[in-house]
Amino acid sequence: MNLEVKIGKMTMKNPVTTASGTFGYGSEYAEFVDLNLLGAVTVKGISLEPREGNPPPRIYETPCGMLNSIGLQNVGLKNFLDEKLPYLKGFDTRIIVNILGNTIDEYCELSSALDGKVDAIELNVSCPNVKKGGVLFSNNNDMLRTLIKEVRTTVKTSTVIVKLSPASADIVMQARICEEVGIDAVSMINTIPAMAIDIHSRRPRLSNIIGGLSGPAIRPIGVRMVWETHRAINIPIIAMGGIMTAEDAMEYILAGATAVAIGTANFVKPTVTLDIIEGMKKYMLIHGIDDINSLIGGLIC
Amino acid sequence: MEVIDNREITDNVFILRLELTENALKPEPGQFYLLRPDSGYDPLLGRPFSAFRWNNDWIEFLIRKTGRGTALLSTFRPGDHIRILGPLGRSFPPHSPHKTPVVLAGGIGMASVYSLTLKHKAEHIFIYGAKSATELLLTEDIRPRVRELYLCTDDGSMGFQGNVVEFFTEFLKKTSSHSIVVYACGPEKMTKSLMEILKKYNIESYLSLEERMACGLGACMGCAKDTKTGMKRVCMEGPVFNIEEL
Repeated sequence: MNLEVKIGKMTMKNPVTTASGTFGYGSEYAEFVDLNLLGAVTVKGISLEPREGNPPPRIYETPCGMLNSIGLQNVGLKNFLDEKLPYLKGFDTRIIVNILGNTIDEYCELSSALDGKVDAIELNVSCPNVKKGGVLFSNNNDMLRTLIKEVRTTVKTSTVIVKLSPASADIVMQARICEEVGIDAVSMINTIPAMAIDIHSRRPRLSNIIGGLSGPAIRPIGVRMVWETHRAINIPIIAMGGIMTAEDAMEYILAGATAVAIGTANFVKPTVTLDIIEGMKKYMLIHGIDDINSLIGGLIC
Repeated sequence: MEVIDNREITDNVFILRLELTENALKPEPGQFYLLRPDSGYDPLLGRPFSAFRWNNDWIEFLIRKTGRGTALLSTFRPGDHIRILGPLGRSFPPHSPHKTPVVLAGGIGMASVYSLTLKHKAEHIFIYGAKSATELLLTEDIRPRVRELYLCTDDGSMGFQGNVVEFFTEFLKKTSSHSIVVYACGPEKMTKSLMEILKKYNIESYLSLEERMACGLGACMGCAKDTKTGMKRVCMEGPVFNIEEL
């Protein structure tokens, strides 16, 4: 039975990775998950300098989902390279590093520092461009194109992935831009901007007012977007958005995903990534499938 | 884990007793667990609760119904299963033999500090407050475990009329602030006003804080609190914080 998949230059032993921001830097979950068994570990988003993030409250649970506005708190590039990366290198798994910046230069500096040291670099493009009045890179196709083109030119060795936001006007168009520019793969979907209100105090549930919705509540939206995108592009898709079980992961693969990332489910059950890998094998056994790649985009309609 | 017992002790407070397997790590006072139903996605995340009481076979949680998650947990019956993750976080550090431990418990915050009296019998001065007498829980259970027990109610229906912090302010007039160490847990309002006094008198103190939480493992950064040295995670650097950090 073959579970191996290829994302750009990166070969994953199975299609399961973690969603950025939900698995720390790997070590937080090592007590529960043998990291060697994962297709890849995707770590929390890294910026050039450490970030403190938003004031609390940062999370709020909603029906079958959760809102978060962590504010991209992270240890910064230097600490990541000195302390977090050597730890992860001790495991036989692929390392995907999510990066975020305020300017194109910052993204390029980060990419250049990580290139060749990690298997893949995933760009969080749902960040405000401070040089363009704080407009999110993902909200403007021209800005997005300029950004990812620059990063594409900078990175020589590692695989480059762009994480797409479901809040952009046309996620399929953005995936096309990624393909045109020569990006190796797209990951989707990032959380969906959302909010909740405490009706008694009349205040927002999150200090940042708006947060990102994740969890099983958003899965059907993710599946639809992956399916539409898969039909439009030829580069691989890493799918995420509410995957709780192997069945959910298979749904995304049939919609067109080559790999899947597990996010919020890690909070619900720390060992869930391994359950999902085992569940996928079981699915393949039951359906007599030898190669997971034969199921990608296998939706019959 | 299997539910062994689930007992209502007032209209909205219950004690949930869960089986502990033989090899399960035992908590230290102040540590917590994430509890959630074994199936379903609504509620989605585990809810953090301090370890209340335990022995080799079981662990108890003292829980007040405040929302969907706690209301659902209150419906679990013996034989049902609950997923638990823990013990998590930092515990209350042991007190120096030269100091008298003073416990301040506000409302359901009692659940977090009660276990200090399990290890060190009859050593603590325990100051416990709630809105009214009916919300002061298990006082006759606490009394024999502690050296002195002082009860406070906002409405004066039992003990001192006023809150725990007001009582403690009076208490300090008769006590040397350097001879005590304070362990406290209560609502945010109490913690805030208490911190002012503790800092003013420079009293060695450990406070258990609360924040909404997702992973409980230090990964998601959801439960951050702003401290002197930056954002700290309640689940990892807490829930018990040395007041010097706050």
